[in-house]
Amino acid sequence: MTGKGYEILALDDLDRVPYRGSGETLRPLRIALGFQPFGVNVWSAEKAGDKLIPPHEEDSGHEELYVVVRGTARFTVGDETRDAPAGSLIHVKADTFRTATAAEPNTMVLAAGGKEGEVFHGGGWETVHIAFARLDAGDVAGGRAIMESTIQEGEHEWGGHYNLACYLAIAGETDAALAELRTALELNRENVGKWLPHDSDLDSLRGDPRFEELAQ
Amino acid sequence: MNITHIDELDAIEMADGFVWRPIRRHFDIRGFGVNAYTTLEAGGQVIEEHTESRLEHEEIYVVLRGRAQFTVDGDEHELGPGQLVFIRDPALRRGAVALDADTVVLALGGKPGEPHQVSAWEAMFAAVPAAREERWDDAIRIHEEALEEQPNHPALLYNLACMEARGGRHLDALLHLKQAVAVEPEWAEHAAKDSDFAAIRNEPGFPAA
Repeated sequence: MTGKGYEILALDDLDRVPYRGSGETLRPLRIALGFQPFGVNVWSAEKAGDKLIPPHEEDSGHEELYVVVRGTARFTVGDETRDAPAGSLIHVKADTFRTATAAEPNTMVLAAGGKEGEVFHGGGWETVHIAFARLDAGDVAGGRAIMESTIQEGEHEWGGHYNLACYLAIAGETDAALAELRTALELNRENVGKWLPHDSDLDSLRGDPRFEELAQ
Repeated sequence: MNITHIDELDAIEMADGFVWRPIRRHFDIRGFGVNAYTTLEAGGQVIEEHTESRLEHEEIYVVLRGRAQFTVDGDEHELGPGQLVFIRDPALRRGAVALDADTVVLALGGKPGEPHQVSAWEAMFAAVPAAREERWDDAIRIHEEALEEQPNHPALLYNLACMEARGGRHLDALLHLKQAVAVEPEWAEHAAKDSDFAAIRNEPGFPAA
């Protein structure tokens, strides 16, 4: 911020964060600005054919608007695929499948999302991807600090501790990972129990008697 | 696929010279506020000068095409495609002039910590073409639809009364003007000077300023 209550920013100056799992490039606008009213982020792709928007439905219940800022995005929404040039607006309801690739080099899409009648909570999903990007770059402590900061902000409740457990398990910090996993289970055994048996992020913990005890 | 292009949206010219391109209303988005703005000519207004003190919205303005000269809290910034200004402080006065005739600015806004509520001004803006063409029934209907969601919104009630007064529905106009004044008494001062109420100003029950 300028210290004056406003900020000027170029979308090209946003960090490039590899989207964990499918490889799209997230440009975390909401976190960069500290914008709180609803979700807003940017996705970009350098080459035609590159992945642009991860394939997903919105479990959060958010309706979303995608604005093609530049280039051309090849959107698939439901079972329909169309090319959307710069200036296109695509509205997608929460339970509808959507994904996109770049149909031109240097394509950029802004995505906004929120749910009618509900206060927006970030959920911290962007933070997870930012932290893992740090880990992939060898900055274990930096990524951990980001994950821990979201827990301190109370964004996640059980999810923050669970994601940190995953992070620490991948980073090879077994004792700390198990401690976070135990906390997550204490906060919400039902939700953690859905993920724990098959989450490959926790593979380094499997076989440890303490993990097997928690998993029971 | 629910898709359109900014250039295909309604283009509603406002008195200050900017052109409202209603994105939220087009898609009936309920989860957040989003609109676009264009201009009539290079050098024309593209974002009206205003604050967000009343709605307390944080706002992001993204230049999608062309260039715009923003003035925020007295500071000037020339922004091009892919650049944005984020205004966290609702009290800051902001506005922008288009430097290119085809400038497009995307505006996203909402109030932190509260579910999004559709801004009442959208109905007032949407009714402008009907009012300009003196299609009073259409202008009244747009306000009535907005009031179904926000029944006691004083500005909506006041504007509805304006449309009804101009459309010859004098009793309805008096009723809604009195409702607006009951919620916010200062509307009586506006009504005393508002030419829309010329036909009913001397009617019994017209609110005293």
